[in-house]
Amino acid sequence: MKHVSSVAGRELRGLFVSPVAYIVLSLFSLIGGVFFTVTVAAFNEWVFRLQQFQAFDQLQELNLNEHLIGQFYQSMAVVLLFLVPGITMGLFASEKTNGTQELLLTSPLTIWDIVLGKFLAGALFVLLLGAVVAAFPALLFAYGDPEPLQTLSGLLGVVLVGLTYVAIGGFASSLTRSQMVAFLLTFVLLLVLLILPAIADLDVAGAGGMGEFMRWLSTESHLEDLVKGLVDTQHLAYFAVMITGFLVLTKASVESVRWR
Amino acid sequence: MIEARQLSKRYGDVHAVQGVSFEVGRGEVVGFLGPNGAGKTTTMRMLTGFVPPTDGTAVIAGHDIFSDPLAARRAIGYLPETLPLYPEMSVRSYLEYVARIKDVPRRERRGAVDRALERCGLAHVARRVIGTLSKGYRQRVGIAQAIVHDPEVLILDEPTVGLDPLQVREIRQLLRDLANPRDGQPQHTVILSTHILPEVEAICRRVILMNGGRKVVDAPLAELTKDGRSLDEIFARETARDVTAEPLEGAR
Repeated sequence: MKHVSSVAGRELRGLFVSPVAYIVLSLFSLIGGVFFTVTVAAFNEWVFRLQQFQAFDQLQELNLNEHLIGQFYQSMAVVLLFLVPGITMGLFASEKTNGTQELLLTSPLTIWDIVLGKFLAGALFVLLLGAVVAAFPALLFAYGDPEPLQTLSGLLGVVLVGLTYVAIGGFASSLTRSQMVAFLLTFVLLLVLLILPAIADLDVAGAGGMGEFMRWLSTESHLEDLVKGLVDTQHLAYFAVMITGFLVLTKASVESVRWR
Repeated sequence: MIEARQLSKRYGDVHAVQGVSFEVGRGEVVGFLGPNGAGKTTTMRMLTGFVPPTDGTAVIAGHDIFSDPLAARRAIGYLPETLPLYPEMSVRSYLEYVARIKDVPRRERRGAVDRALERCGLAHVARRVIGTLSKGYRQRVGIAQAIVHDPEVLILDEPTVGLDPLQVREIRQLLRDLANPRDGQPQHTVILSTHILPEVEAICRRVILMNGGRKVVDAPLAELTKDGRSLDEIFARETARDVTAEPLEGAR
């Protein structure tokens, strides 16, 4: 495992010499700014109306974390769905088109060195995106009084969703030579994951167990609780299972090149 | 240095390589010949650990490719058929990366890269981005990545393909230098695949000829050509029989 950092380092440098990393970072910051402004404006509007109608008990219940920061976090998690595939599409696909897959697999590296190195690079990029997300609620501490722990727990949720997306995107990239196919495949997988609860609500499956499982499989409910400040082991376990699961699948997929 | 024992590779019903065995001693330079589809690339890929053999095994510098794959791979420098280059990296940072994943210790890395750059005539383009280099220079970078960790064994799959005559001459000279003893010690053991026959005559002292996935000739070049026959004639005669479709009897 000593070469995880070698692989991750090259991958990160590769990301930052291509325009992709900069496009993703600037788009993410821009969209974040727009969403934050909109959410703040909506929150202000609420406060204003409630004051107008002198609904003081409702005004008491209104809180920054739930009605502003939480909303913002959930929107940003959806934005990740569009941007993370752009970061992960090249992770393995480009090694195949460059012919460098043969270099990696004939070097004294283990498959885990390669898979974890690539994941680490993607994960560090997600942390960067997490820092962008964190900058907005940080502003609120100057003007208001949000609950710090709940703010952090929601941020953790967004980052964990991002890491899960990286694991899924890496897997998709390992299946194909084409970055375009990897992008679309990741996008579709993440979209399905996102709408699973809606499908479960349709109750076409009939049985309650299946619906339960579909809701569990989606990131939505887990992120929701983390945003509320409920850092439950159940949710941490969910993200651990998803990430590990897709890393294991990726490892099998990379290894299968040898047996084809 | 290299010992192939009954190497076989089957893809579905196709026997790409069937029971190939040979030994290559330290400092030997062997030309690996054969028409397209003869199994040269597959054999090299098995030796380098890129694809595992369906049957048989190989021992590289004393390390079995199955029981000690990392040590075996460490001992090999490999130039695959398609150059394994990252177009966005500079020549130097690419070679540093390769040296790193080939387990060259941190302190020796800079020296190793400088040496590879110099031997391949790349010193003046070390800071250039690989994607902007000409085909000939990219080929040299490919060879540089194969020798950067000073491996005991060099496996080169068609190192001069697609080059102009001048570049071919340069690369051949480079390969001869690599094979020459340094300080009285034989340095690299080289397996070189090609279908350019003069190349073999220019560089190699021994020839292994493959056809239809089998080894058909394995002899010193001098012995093969001693009765005045050219390598050309030998190649034509030995590859005339089409054995590609012939199923191996008793194959598992």
